[in-house]
Amino acid sequence: MNYTFQFGVVWRDFPYLLDGALLTFQIGLLAFWGGALIGLVLAAFKTFGPRPVRWLVDAYVVFLTNTPALIQIYFLYYGLAEFRIRWSGEFCLLLGLTLNAGAYLTMIMRAGFLSVRRTEMEAGEVMGMSRLQQVRYVVAPHIAKTIYPALANFFIVILVMGTSVGAIIGVNELTGQAITRASFNYRWLEYFTVVAGMYVVLTFIASIGLALFGRWAFRVKARVF
Amino acid sequence: MPHLEVSDVRARYGSLEVLSGVSFTVDRGEVVALVGPSGSGKSTVLRLLVGLLPPSGGTVRVAGEPVDYRRAAMVRAVRDRMAIVFQQYNLFQNMDVLKNVTLAPVRIKGRDRREVEDLARRLLDRVGLGDKLHAYPDELSGGQQQRVAIARALAMQPEILLLDEVTSALDPELVNEVLEVIRDLAREGMTMILVSHEMAFVREIADRVVMMDKGSVVEEGPPAEILDNPRTARARDFFGKILRH
Ligand SMILES: Nc1ncnc2c1ncn2[C@@H]1O[C@H](COP(=O)(O)OP(=O)(O)OP(=O)(O)O)[C@@H](O)[C@H]1O
Ligand SMILES: [Mg+2]
Repeated sequence: MNYTFQFGVVWRDFPYLLDGALLTFQIGLLAFWGGALIGLVLAAFKTFGPRPVRWLVDAYVVFLTNTPALIQIYFLYYGLAEFRIRWSGEFCLLLGLTLNAGAYLTMIMRAGFLSVRRTEMEAGEVMGMSRLQQVRYVVAPHIAKTIYPALANFFIVILVMGTSVGAIIGVNELTGQAITRASFNYRWLEYFTVVAGMYVVLTFIASIGLALFGRWAFRVKARVF
Repeated sequence: MPHLEVSDVRARYGSLEVLSGVSFTVDRGEVVALVGPSGSGKSTVLRLLVGLLPPSGGTVRVAGEPVDYRRAAMVRAVRDRMAIVFQQYNLFQNMDVLKNVTLAPVRIKGRDRREVEDLARRLLDRVGLGDKLHAYPDELSGGQQQRVAIARALAMQPEILLLDEVTSALDPELVNEVLEVIRDLAREGMTMILVSHEMAFVREIADRVVMMDKGSVVEEGPPAEILDNPRTARARDFFGKILRH
């Protein structure tokens, strides 16, 4: 193999890639929080709701976790276009990832709900806590602590795997940006080498941030790697 | 007037009647031991008293006042006067020892944090855990957790303390430490109901023993009488078995 790496073009394009990384991070974060909200509500429905509601939650979770995120986003982008619903690639990516994350996060949150120890709530109750105070002081911190590692892992999954799907519908997140820039000069290998490095850095920053936050907030001994 | 009067109290779990007319009284400063075979309803009595299980019949009176467990305000008032220590400690796993003890007095009862923390330190010292203020429950042995639970109950400054087999999970050395704490409390005149299988301790500390079986009181009296000369066949059988160990 006598390929000569020429990183010069990539460095010149670095600001574009940084833009892409920023977009990746933003979409990842928004989809995660949106998904967390969906997950929280649906897990509550699944745990406390009447049977038909629980069944609907199950259907949502099964449907979205058993089909590829790519197909879901294709559906939003190309499928809905058939019905004259045209959303931007960014919006479809964000919406698709959010709905998809919502399904996974429903399962994670549900595990948290199930791990609540009734006995601790009773201890709070006999010390005069109202139901709301029990949730605030006993249940919520416990759920947060229990599911935090799974949440942190899932955030990384969305950040890296989820957002890069956007490249295929023309969103210039990090992967998309690399493809766009490389198509001008065919330096694919260089671009993807640098972009891989940027993903690692992005993941690294997110992991450290999450681990430190977890340790500080919930006494979670999370591994950084 | 008795400090606590339980008359003909009934309770059920679903269709299963677990208390079928329980009556006994506890005078101010008295230590009453609740004994009986497993499943006889001892824990249920304590849970009912603190409002975790509504009675399906009968009356509970605290200092002569009947308690209506259907009224939230009344349940709150009862919980202000009584504290319970559970068989399985039930500490808040997400808080350290000091926080476990101070949370309710500070956040729920609105007492001064500084004062409550001082009290908590004294109580924890007293149960031998003065050096574990910032340990979390999962870093403590069962015995240590149980002593935290006792300190937590005492920090509520109850008039009546309910103890549900607080020594059943402890190593023999730790049992003594915990019993010493209870002895002290009895000396100080704390009204207590003590569920226990430790007959030697019951004999030593209880002013009166109430024996339950199948959801009702079989026999009651001073420990010497009831442990050594039970009148009923059921009690003879029970104490015969348990005292031979
Ligand atoms: N949550 C519950 N749901 C249904 N039945 C229960 C529940 N808790 C207790 N029981 C039943 O109520 C009866 C009395 O139980 P309780 O716990 O009061 O007994 P106990 O005297 O404290 O026994 P032990 O010495 O084993 O602690 C038992 O038959 C038990 O199976
Ligand atoms: Mg019991």
